[in-house]
Amino acid sequence: MASRIAVSVLSLAFLAPVAPHAMAADFVAEAAKTAPLPDGPHRVWLHDLATVNYSKATLFDGDTGKLLAEVDTGYQGQELELAAKTPRFFSAETYLSRGFRGTRTDVVTIFDARTLLPTGEIEIPAKRLLGMPTSAYASLLDDERFLLAYNFSPASTVSVVDLERAVFVGEIEIAGCALIYPLGPRRFASLCGDGSLLEVTLDEDGREKARKAHAKVFDPGVDPLMEKAVRAGSQWLFVSFAGDVYPVEAAGAELAFGAKWPLASADERAAKWLPGGLQPFALHAASGRLYTVMHQGGPGSHKDPGRVVWVYDLAAKKRVQKLSLAELATSIAVSQDAAPLLYSAFLGAPALVVYDARAGSRLRAIENAAVWPALLQPIAAVAK
Amino acid sequence: MSRFDALTQAAARRVASRTSRRSLLGWLGRLLVGGAALPLLPVARIASAAGTPSGVGKIEDPESCDYWRYCAIDGFLCSCCGGSASSCPPGTTPSPMTWVGTCQNPADGKAYIVSYNDCCGQQACGRCMCNRNEGDRPPYLPWVSNDINWCLGSDNKIAYHCSTALLVGLADK
Repeated sequence: MASRIAVSVLSLAFLAPVAPHAMAADFVAEAAKTAPLPDGPHRVWLHDLATVNYSKATLFDGDTGKLLAEVDTGYQGQELELAAKTPRFFSAETYLSRGFRGTRTDVVTIFDARTLLPTGEIEIPAKRLLGMPTSAYASLLDDERFLLAYNFSPASTVSVVDLERAVFVGEIEIAGCALIYPLGPRRFASLCGDGSLLEVTLDEDGREKARKAHAKVFDPGVDPLMEKAVRAGSQWLFVSFAGDVYPVEAAGAELAFGAKWPLASADERAAKWLPGGLQPFALHAASGRLYTVMHQGGPGSHKDPGRVVWVYDLAAKKRVQKLSLAELATSIAVSQDAAPLLYSAFLGAPALVVYDARAGSRLRAIENAAVWPALLQPIAAVAK
Repeated sequence: MSRFDALTQAAARRVASRTSRRSLLGWLGRLLVGGAALPLLPVARIASAAGTPSGVGKIEDPESCDYWRYCAIDGFLCSCCGGSASSCPPGTTPSPMTWVGTCQNPADGKAYIVSYNDCCGQQACGRCMCNRNEGDRPPYLPWVSNDINWCLGSDNKIAYHCSTALLVGLADK
C-alpha cells in the first residue's frame, strides 16, 4: 500500500507541470465519507445464508435493482427484527470466537436503522436454534419492548430480552413446543409436536405470567402445519402441508381458532397442487391479499420451489389471481405500499427477481444478489 | 464468487433440474440417535410414527443425491467431502445428536431407519448439496426435522461441515 501511495504522489508531481491550471485551480481532494442510506418505497432485505456459514443481509432497491447496503448477521443468521417505533432493528446472532471454532457467543445486536451501524448488543444464552431460517426463530413482541429468541439445546426454551432496559431477562421453558409467534405486546404462541398451540403471557418485567395449551389445533400425524406462517393484523395464518389455511385470531383475550379453508380446489388437490418453499407465503395487508408459492408435488415436497403464485382475498377466502413466475421461487415477499412489488428468490440461484405484485409482470432480476438467497423482508419508506 | 460457491450453486441447480419431488437446498439437521450409546428403540418408534417408509433411491452411488439412504437428508454429502455415507471427514467429528429418516433399500426392499449425523468442527464443505424431505417435519418435531443444525450437541464445534446417513435399524419388524 505504501509503495502505491508513493507512486501516486510521484505521478501527480510529474503531471503538475503538464496541466497546471486544471490541477491547481479546479482540483478538490475527496474526503473519505460514508454514503447516506437511500430512502424509497421498495427497499427489501435479502438474507444470504452463504452456504450456511457466516451470513449477511443485503438491502436492495426493488425499483432500481441497486444494492444499497449490507449488514453481517453472524454464523447461520436469521432474519432481522424490524421495528416501527424507533429507528432501530435487531438481529439475534451467533459468533464463534475463532471463526469456525472456539467459544460460542449469542447476542441480540442493535442496529441504527438510519446508518446501519451496530450500536450495541445484549448477550443471550448461547443456544438459539441454528438452521434453515424462518421468521419464527426470533420475534419482537408488538410494542417492541421485548425480543424473544427460540432456543434448542435440545431443550426448548425462549430467551426474553428487554430492549428498553437492554438486558436479558431470562428463559421460558416450552417443552414439546417450538418457535415464536407474537400475539400482542406481552403474549406469544408456539407450535407443539402434539398438535397443540401453546400460548404464553408475560408480565411487565418479561417473565412468564400465564400459559395455556390449546389442544388439537392440528394433527401432525395427518397433516402437519408448516412453521412458515404469516400474520395478518391480529390473526396468524398457518398453512398445512396439504394446503389448508388455519386462522388463529388473537384480537380478544381468548384465542379463537377459525375454520380451516383450502388453498386448492378438490380438482387441484387431486392434481397435487401444494404450497412449498422456505418463505412460501406473503401478505399485502391493505388489500387483504395472501400470496402463496405453489407447485405440483406430493409427500416430502413441502420445501420444493414453485413457479406460480396463487393470490387469495383473505376476507372472502377465495383465490382471485394466479401469477406465473419467470423463475423458480422458494421465497416471496410483497411490499406494503399501494403499488406493491412482489420479490422472489430461489435458494438454488443467486438472483433476486422483482415483479409487479398486482399484474404479475416481471420487472427486473437483480443478478448475483446472494450466494444462497433465503428470507426476504421488505421495508417501508421512512415517514417524513 | 468463490469456486466453492459456484460449485454449490451448480450442484443445487443440478438437483433442481433433476427431480421435481426434491426441493433444493436446505441443510443441517438431525436428531437423537447418533452415538451408539443411545437406545435405538425410541428412535424406531419415532421414525415409524413420523410417516410411512418412502424414498426409494434409484442409484447406489453415495456421492449422488439419489442414493437411497439420502431420502430425508439435508446438507452437503460427506461422501463428497473426504468422508463417506457413514463417516465424517478427517478434521471433523460426528454430532452426538441427530435426526432420523426412514428410507427403503432397493436392494432388499426393506425400510431402514437412517440417522443423519452432522459432521462438525469445520466450515460448510460446500460440495454435493442434497436436500430430500421425505418424512421431514418442522422443528416442533425436532427428531424428524432436517432444518436444524445438529452440531449444537458438539462441545464448541457448532460449525456444520457435512451430513452422513448411518443405518441404525430396520423400520419394519
